[in-house]
Amino acid sequence: MASAANANLNAVRETMDVLLEISRLLNTGLDMESLSICVRLCEQGINPEALSAVIKELRKASESLKASENSTN
Amino acid sequence: MATLDQKSPNVLLQSLCCRITGKSEAEVAHQFQYAVRVIGNNYAPTIERDEFLVSEKIKKELLKQRREADAALFSDLHRKLQTQGVLKHRWSVLYLMLSLSEDPRKPSSRAGNYSALFPQALPRDAHSTPFYCTRPQSLALGYGDRTTGLSASVGTSGISSLGVYTLNGPTPTPQSLLAGQPPQSAAGGGQLLGSRLAWALPVSSSPSSALAPPTTRPLLGPPVPCTRVVRPRRDGDATGEVSEAALVRDILYVFQGIDGKFIKMNAQDNCYKIDSKVVLCKSLRDTSSRLAELGWLHNKVRKYTDARSLDRAFGLVGQSFCASLHQELKEYYRLLSVLHSQLQVEDDQGVNMCTESNLTLRRLLVWMYDPKVRLKTLAALVDFCQGRKGGELASAVHAYGKTGDPQMRALVQHILCLVSHPILNFLYRWIYDGELEDTYHEFFVASDPNVKTDRLWHDKYSLRKSMIPSFITMDQARKVLLIGKSINFLHQVCHDRTPPSKITPASKSADTPKDAAELLSDLEGAFQEKIDTAYFDTSKYLLDVLNHNYLLLEHLQAMRRYLLLGQGDFIRHLMDLLKPELARPATTLYQHNLTGILETAVRATNAQFDNAEILKRLDVRLLEVSPGDTGWDVFSLDYHVDGPIATVFTRECMGHYLRVFNFLWRAKRMEYTLTDIWKGQMCNAKLLKTMPELSGVLHQCHILASEMVHFIHQMQYYITFEVLECSWDELWNKVQQAQDLDHIIAAHEVFLDTIISRCLLDNNSRSLLNQLRAIFDQIIEFQSAQDSLYRSALEELSLRLKYEEKKQQREEEGQWGVTAEQEAEEKKRIQEFQETIPKMRSQLRILTHFYQSIVQQFLVLLMTSSDESLRFLSFRLDFNEHYRAREPRLRASLGATRGRRLSNI
Repeated sequence: MASAANANLNAVRETMDVLLEISRLLNTGLDMESLSICVRLCEQGINPEALSAVIKELRKASESLKASENSTN
Repeated sequence: MATLDQKSPNVLLQSLCCRITGKSEAEVAHQFQYAVRVIGNNYAPTIERDEFLVSEKIKKELLKQRREADAALFSDLHRKLQTQGVLKHRWSVLYLMLSLSEDPRKPSSRAGNYSALFPQALPRDAHSTPFYCTRPQSLALGYGDRTTGLSASVGTSGISSLGVYTLNGPTPTPQSLLAGQPPQSAAGGGQLLGSRLAWALPVSSSPSSALAPPTTRPLLGPPVPCTRVVRPRRDGDATGEVSEAALVRDILYVFQGIDGKFIKMNAQDNCYKIDSKVVLCKSLRDTSSRLAELGWLHNKVRKYTDARSLDRAFGLVGQSFCASLHQELKEYYRLLSVLHSQLQVEDDQGVNMCTESNLTLRRLLVWMYDPKVRLKTLAALVDFCQGRKGGELASAVHAYGKTGDPQMRALVQHILCLVSHPILNFLYRWIYDGELEDTYHEFFVASDPNVKTDRLWHDKYSLRKSMIPSFITMDQARKVLLIGKSINFLHQVCHDRTPPSKITPASKSADTPKDAAELLSDLEGAFQEKIDTAYFDTSKYLLDVLNHNYLLLEHLQAMRRYLLLGQGDFIRHLMDLLKPELARPATTLYQHNLTGILETAVRATNAQFDNAEILKRLDVRLLEVSPGDTGWDVFSLDYHVDGPIATVFTRECMGHYLRVFNFLWRAKRMEYTLTDIWKGQMCNAKLLKTMPELSGVLHQCHILASEMVHFIHQMQYYITFEVLECSWDELWNKVQQAQDLDHIIAAHEVFLDTIISRCLLDNNSRSLLNQLRAIFDQIIEFQSAQDSLYRSALEELSLRLKYEEKKQQREEEGQWGVTAEQEAEEKKRIQEFQETIPKMRSQLRILTHFYQSIVQQFLVLLMTSSDESLRFLSFRLDFNEHYRAREPRLRASLGATRGRRLSNI
């Protein structure tokens, strides 16, 4: 997979662009870097359901963290 | 960054965590752990891996949001993606994005819409809908497997802690700022996602109201805090009331012990309560609080199993109790999952369809009635079993099975089966193999590892009373203890290595809980029979081994013959042989001499035909010498016991035998002495006829001697027949009928106790024994007095005869028989001798008097004794009321009984 990616760096970039576009369309809230991590995880066969649950949870956690920081400030 | 290199999922996950939370690796450790756990638990996706299906769903979603242009754009992009072919798991990526997608127009309604996204997918398989998978806390419902349920519950706690954290923290300021941002922005999306997720978790009202985006939902009524979250589900509901459907959904979470939106755990009252701020009609409020009790019950049971299932010291019985509780909970979860899927179907079908087959609180109330009763029983059981383990726990469960409700009985019976299974396993291991593998002290047989094999039977094993399950009777428990003890005794003491299957042919242990169930249902029948068979077989085998290999019964008889003087010829001969030795002071005796004499006695009498094994054990023992003792005082026979028979003839038993032997030996010696006295009297009577001056003294001697002979004969009769033979007969009968070794030991102990007390050797009859000793002493004294009397008399007699002979001889020689001088001398000597006679008489009188006073005192004590046989002895001793005539005290007591008897006649 890695060799194929190296050979077709362009194709990969394009794919990522497409994915980013879809992501934007669907309003997933993922930026380029997180999306690329997610894609890599998915490519490794990770269960997308679980992954999405994790991401949501993480967002909630960070949000609450931010909120608590704000409240303490 | 765009390169799709192969990093490990964990590394990727960690960077993802950092990226999303915007923190360093160290700070996100907690979240990272959580993520790894969730991912690890859901490795196999539950949805179909169909790219087309996912893309169609995405299009449908976009269309629903009235974004036709975007949908067209998406299919364009999707096609591009397909042509590039860089990705292998396109569906996966798409699915992920779909899951994360946010409707930009109505962000707060995501929850409702989201679940409605898959109208086709949901009914397909109610147990594995993706719906559950996006909310890990409900995973326990999705999987029947218990382990998955457990791990998911770990995930649940992680989420709820996060959720609580989220909700307690926020202040209105940042949220209102965020809410004011355009909904399309990524930050706003994230924020909204968080709030969306939170709907399934405990939500406190203030932050959620702050989160409410101002742009959406013109239909929203006055800001009743919770309505926002309900609204998306029932759009038509314009009042501030919470709809029933929302409550149903809430209740389903409460059933699992998770706080709902409206119904929350109230820490003060320790129950689930509906938020008092929620506007709700009374009937719904009542119904839901009745339903909410299930959640409380569930929590109670769950808490118990969670706390105990990892505690190894809780023991096997406790573990099976937890397992059975888990089983019940699993059933409960299964039901909940069905309810959930039902709810899901309704959601998918939309508001319009929900008329007939809809889930309502009333329906739930009916459906959940049985589970509630079950859970109630479980919770009560858990309460009752708190702090118990092992057999005690089984007893507690068993106590709960005594109910009239057949359903409850079946439930408790089922739990009891599981709980008692380890106990029954212990039991079978114990009664068939004699092995005790009870690491956590749960079984009712306890073993003391400090006890050595010689006390194995008596001290090593004991019953742990608190651990006897109530369905096993005390009698059964004792038998069980005995069976295993017998097997261990055979192995360790008798060194008998017969396999257990030969001892008890029916030794088949119950391995499955089903067998245990059968046994439990038939405790009086099959179980009792099983124990009884094992008991009979094992005990019988043990007794056989003891009797045949270790000659237990022969040893018992040998005790009677040698230590209790049953072998008359041997004892008599031994006494004959020993007499010269024993008359000497005790300090001059040597054991080896006496042992030699013993062997001679054995060889000369019928004892020689006895078993060599028994004769080998017979030995002489000299007691501790105190100054002035003669051999008679210290001599004793001994019998060596060791190995298995020492369990019956313990050290204490041998001590008792020794005491009895000494008493009997003394009494025997008196008989022997009196025989000597009588012999002397008979031999000398004729000789001394020529000395008329002695007749008075001799008469006195004869009277006293016959008095003593009568006394000793009666005593010997009493000891031999009333005491020894009677007790022996009793013992022998009991031993013949004994079913186990304990019976023999008990019978033997009873035998010894009877002998000891009847032979006046126990503490109560110490005064009697002292009198008896005094009587024996008098007999000895009399013997010596009579001996000296005869000696002087015979001396005198021989002198006189010599004098006469001399006289005759001289007459034959033709001389004068005696000179005057000689005659005077002879007369003087006779005179002197005759002067000693009154002295002898007075000595004898004193002896007689003393003897009689002791006998009288002895009789008085006998009369007042509580033992009937001793009272009878007193009648025998005083059959002609000789002593009664002399002793006023005897007259009083004897008169009382005899007078009555006379009046009866």
